[in-house]
Amino acid sequence: MEQYLPVLTLGVLAILFVLLSIVTSRLLAPERRTLPKFAPYECGITDQTAIPERFPVKFYLVAMLFIMFDIEIIFLYPWAVANNELGLFGLIAMAIFVGIFFLSFAYELAMGGLNWGPGKRVSNPLVSPERTTTSTIRKVGLEGRTPSVASSSETEAA
Amino acid sequence: MTGDPLFHDGVDLVDIGIMGLKVVVAFGFLLVATMFMVWFERKLISDMQNRIGPNVAGPWGLLQTFADGVKFFFKEDLRPENADPLVFRLAPYISAVTAFLSFAIVPVGGVFKDVPGTTGTVNIFGRETFLQVADPPIGILLLLAMSSIAVYGIMLAGWSSGSKYPLIGSVRASAQAISYEAALGMSVVAVVILAGTLSTHDIVAHQAGGINTWFLVTSGVIPFIVFLIAATAELNRPPFDLVEAEQELVGGFHTEYSSIRFALFFLAEFMNVITMSAIMVTLFFGGPAGPIFFGLTWFWPTIWFMSKVMVFLFIFVWFRATLPRLRYDQLMDLGWKVLIPLSLFWLMFISLKELRASNDWNWIATYAAAAGGLLLGGTLLITALRAGDRAYQKDSEDA
Repeated sequence: MEQYLPVLTLGVLAILFVLLSIVTSRLLAPERRTLPKFAPYECGITDQTAIPERFPVKFYLVAMLFIMFDIEIIFLYPWAVANNELGLFGLIAMAIFVGIFFLSFAYELAMGGLNWGPGKRVSNPLVSPERTTTSTIRKVGLEGRTPSVASSSETEAA
Repeated sequence: MTGDPLFHDGVDLVDIGIMGLKVVVAFGFLLVATMFMVWFERKLISDMQNRIGPNVAGPWGLLQTFADGVKFFFKEDLRPENADPLVFRLAPYISAVTAFLSFAIVPVGGVFKDVPGTTGTVNIFGRETFLQVADPPIGILLLLAMSSIAVYGIMLAGWSSGSKYPLIGSVRASAQAISYEAALGMSVVAVVILAGTLSTHDIVAHQAGGINTWFLVTSGVIPFIVFLIAATAELNRPPFDLVEAEQELVGGFHTEYSSIRFALFFLAEFMNVITMSAIMVTLFFGGPAGPIFFGLTWFWPTIWFMSKVMVFLFIFVWFRATLPRLRYDQLMDLGWKVLIPLSLFWLMFISLKELRASNDWNWIATYAAAAGGLLLGGTLLITALRAGDRAYQKDSEDA
């Protein structure tokens, strides 16, 4: 247990360092408080919208999947340390465990649970296979955003 | 007996004194090294971008970071009115303390030779000890624990700021950190299988026989590559610095922090770069082990360690100067769909390879089993990825 003594000492030292820095700063720093300084940062303009309270559920999915993986890693470490003593039995047991685990991971992948990007790789109708200078220069604005407009502008370009 | 021999025959005052000395030296070294790391990064990036960089404070601008640090003390410390007072103050502590603690397990010196009794110890005031702050039997797990807790520092800082940019930045940061944490942990398992121990000192001792005993070579290069990529992502360094994507998120999770509290986050970030480089050297490049030529024997291992770490510090800066930032979906795809399956397969393969070597199994049968596993897993993975793309596309069309 005494092997952890230095870790504890370093931890205490680090906490003291942070505490002292903050206290020193408080003593040295000026305090000229104005109202705008306490507003949430919004690039210099008055804040218009409320703070988002909801998030894409994907982030929670990732967190849950991480817990799964973390538990797996916790099981992996003791086995890894004793790999040579456990021998074939350990390897087969671990292969079954990792296999079942991988199956559930593959299931999540198969349901699209870890896809983040744009759902469809949009092949832009404005850029035709035979690219010319007229076909690659795109208009900015509503044109080209929807397929119907895009196809009509393509015919224009042609 | 495992662990630091300093504590083997009871703990007396001299032991405590030596331990205190080691802790203080490591603490000071980390602070100074972080200071120079910031300078090194700025100067190197300047060179790569054909600029001069810091050159006013001190010779070659060496004291620029120090000057910046002093200035931070004199800046007004603001806490936005929406902020959660307690958590807002707590977050810098978590970030800074975990950054310091991760370094505790890194062996920075000691004579590693295959001679009994001289493995990795040095003599301070008549006591044998390791040149590392601590060598707990769970070594590597301490590092993983600290890097997991560091995520809380980021998450809580962003959440408690009561502002939208830090919140978005911190949610992204946490998702990124935990995604790559899994790959990081699994790539280390390959090293642990080879070393048969979690103690960093013993891991280095296993690699003391020269370059062909380095775990970089014996584990195949794959765990190292996975570790390097995952560590870069874990550190929020470019090209994985979406957390601080200035163009969209201002400063990311520390947007609302000012004065010394911001400095502490900054310090923790650069300290983690140094620690991760040191861990990589420890795990894959033999740490302080290396040839000893003449003069002071305890001096050479530390020189070897420092030079190896410098290479990785250079590589991290080089990444930043060279690689453009990834898109968020590319980042997540790389982590979950490439690195995790790859490291999972590789650690099973390493285990099989080790058992074959020690039990003298037929190598054709062994590698046939490995190839079968790869084929089965690969097919399953590719099928799942295709199905996933279809399902996702269908969902986004419905929406």
